[in-house]
Amino acid sequence: MNLLQLANVGRSYEMGSELVNALRGVSMTVNEGEFVAIVGPSGSGKSTLMNILGCLDRPTVGRYVIDGRDVGSLNDNDLASIRSRTIGFVFQNYSLLPGTSAVDNVATPLLYQGVPRRARQERAAAELDRLGLGARLGHEPTQMSGGEQQRVAIARALVTNPALLLADEPTGNLAARQGEEVIALFVELHRAGRTVVLITHNPEIAAVADRRVHLHDGTIVEMATAA
Amino acid sequence: MSTSELLRLAFSRLRRSRARAALTMLGIIIGVASVVALVGVGRGTTANITASLSSLGTNLLTVSPSGRGSTSGLTLEDATAIGQLDGVQAVAPEIQTQATVAASATNSTSTSVVGTSSAYAYVRAYEVWQGTFLSDVGVDQSLRLVVLGATVASDLGLGAEALGSTVTISGLPFEIVGILQAKGGSGFNDPDDQVYVPIGTVSKYFVGGGSVRTIGVSVVEGADMQAVRDGISEDLRIRHGIGSGDDDDFSIFDQAQLLEVTDSISGTLTLLLGGIASIALVVGGIGIMNIMLVSVRERTREIGIRKALGARSGDILSQFLVEALTLSVLGGLIGIAIGLAASFVIGQIAGWGFIFDPLTVIVATIFSLAVGVVFGVWPARQAAQLDPVVALRFE
Repeated sequence: MNLLQLANVGRSYEMGSELVNALRGVSMTVNEGEFVAIVGPSGSGKSTLMNILGCLDRPTVGRYVIDGRDVGSLNDNDLASIRSRTIGFVFQNYSLLPGTSAVDNVATPLLYQGVPRRARQERAAAELDRLGLGARLGHEPTQMSGGEQQRVAIARALVTNPALLLADEPTGNLAARQGEEVIALFVELHRAGRTVVLITHNPEIAAVADRRVHLHDGTIVEMATAA
Repeated sequence: MSTSELLRLAFSRLRRSRARAALTMLGIIIGVASVVALVGVGRGTTANITASLSSLGTNLLTVSPSGRGSTSGLTLEDATAIGQLDGVQAVAPEIQTQATVAASATNSTSTSVVGTSSAYAYVRAYEVWQGTFLSDVGVDQSLRLVVLGATVASDLGLGAEALGSTVTISGLPFEIVGILQAKGGSGFNDPDDQVYVPIGTVSKYFVGGGSVRTIGVSVVEGADMQAVRDGISEDLRIRHGIGSGDDDDFSIFDQAQLLEVTDSISGTLTLLLGGIASIALVVGGIGIMNIMLVSVRERTREIGIRKALGARSGDILSQFLVEALTLSVLGGLIGIAIGLAASFVIGQIAGWGFIFDPLTVIVATIFSLAVGVVFGVWPARQAAQLDPVVALRFE
């Protein structure tokens, strides 16, 4: 089953009088249960692609279908609903809500799904517990290490049980050891059946994926399947 | 998102920045407190004036000469005629002159001497403190009797023991028969700073002719004021020979009318005071808007994260709007408490007591809510309309 399907997707911006094509003619599919790495140097269009895949942005041309829904025909609230139910985000800089405890951070996506408070707290605590953070429920981001913060962020991405886990340079701010742990976690989640799309500039990290999509200058230059 | 979820978000946010929240609320607190206090003071003053006016008697009509120069006028016969009319309980004609009242060669005061009838105290609702008011016999025979106003008595150092003794008025000895209870000043003719003598005595010893300054008319309880007025007017027009097209040479003044006018004046005054104070409220609202705009900018990234986690624009809008509303309503409630406390203290000091008006509280609450909406919507819209991609990149 196709979870994501991009056909000739392009994204252009107006920079003053110039038109910049950040993404051109990108076509790819991601199947359910797949682990795909999108690799490329900075400025290759990775972030633009990630924004489109994550329904934070819309393509200017082409067609993007996620979980059977054509993004081009959806309004802002529909996109928010897809982000809420279908996608779990993990960002490079953790992006936890400041001054908010780990459990409240993890519970926030459930808030926007309308889950009652008690159930939210229980599910968030269970998710943190599963990732080995059971002792950190009440800690605020500033009281935790980078690795812990990123695991809280992963717990937050998983708490809604999304079809797609979308990670943007998840190890970029972490020390080597902690980075390896996070990658190991993604591998484990993939083995358990989760669809993972990982965006990175680091070929070593990309190597753990089933498939690698190389981006350069806004277009796909190579698709490689794991050896 | 439900209201309770939004309030929980707002309160946890305000708890994290207490000092800022308190300072932001200060504007609203001051605005609402001054509105509530000034309206309270306005109402207190009104109640005070109304009370002192009603103490003069609401069933009192005052007939005084008007038009055609000051010499024209009312006569004692007019007063007697009015006394015969339907609905009239008592009449008290009044002649006035200025004189020196002396208890001894070195102890004197200059004051108004009012010549009147025995019904005067009743018509004007004056209370006698010591002795009696002028008697019917004293008035009929134009005896040299005097009743002292409270201020005059204290100026001359006279008390209960002075009853039966004499004072001189313009050199003539008068017997003191009574001293009035202090009534409190109102207007030009302070009833406490006057002495009262039989009306015939004044015409006999001080002022020539029978020209009457005013005739106080006490209307029978429950009688139709307007009908009595019309009766007096008709009677006086006939007596004075006024043609049907000509103006009256007298005017009839109704105490109840005066009350209404005073009420409406002080109501306007209260509104004016409240209006001035509400400027502070608007300034407080602008303070909230300012802080909310700063807050939206500071929390751009948070907004981006929330949108990535599935928040719709409406969720962000209501989050920021409820935050502004929480600030304004909380500030409003504190302001109401302070304003009520202030008007209580002012009321105690000024002596008209504390008048709690639930309407003020309701209006003030609605006002601070409105301030929150008006000044919170724009920042909240700014937050809601942020592009998630841009907001997430914001550092």
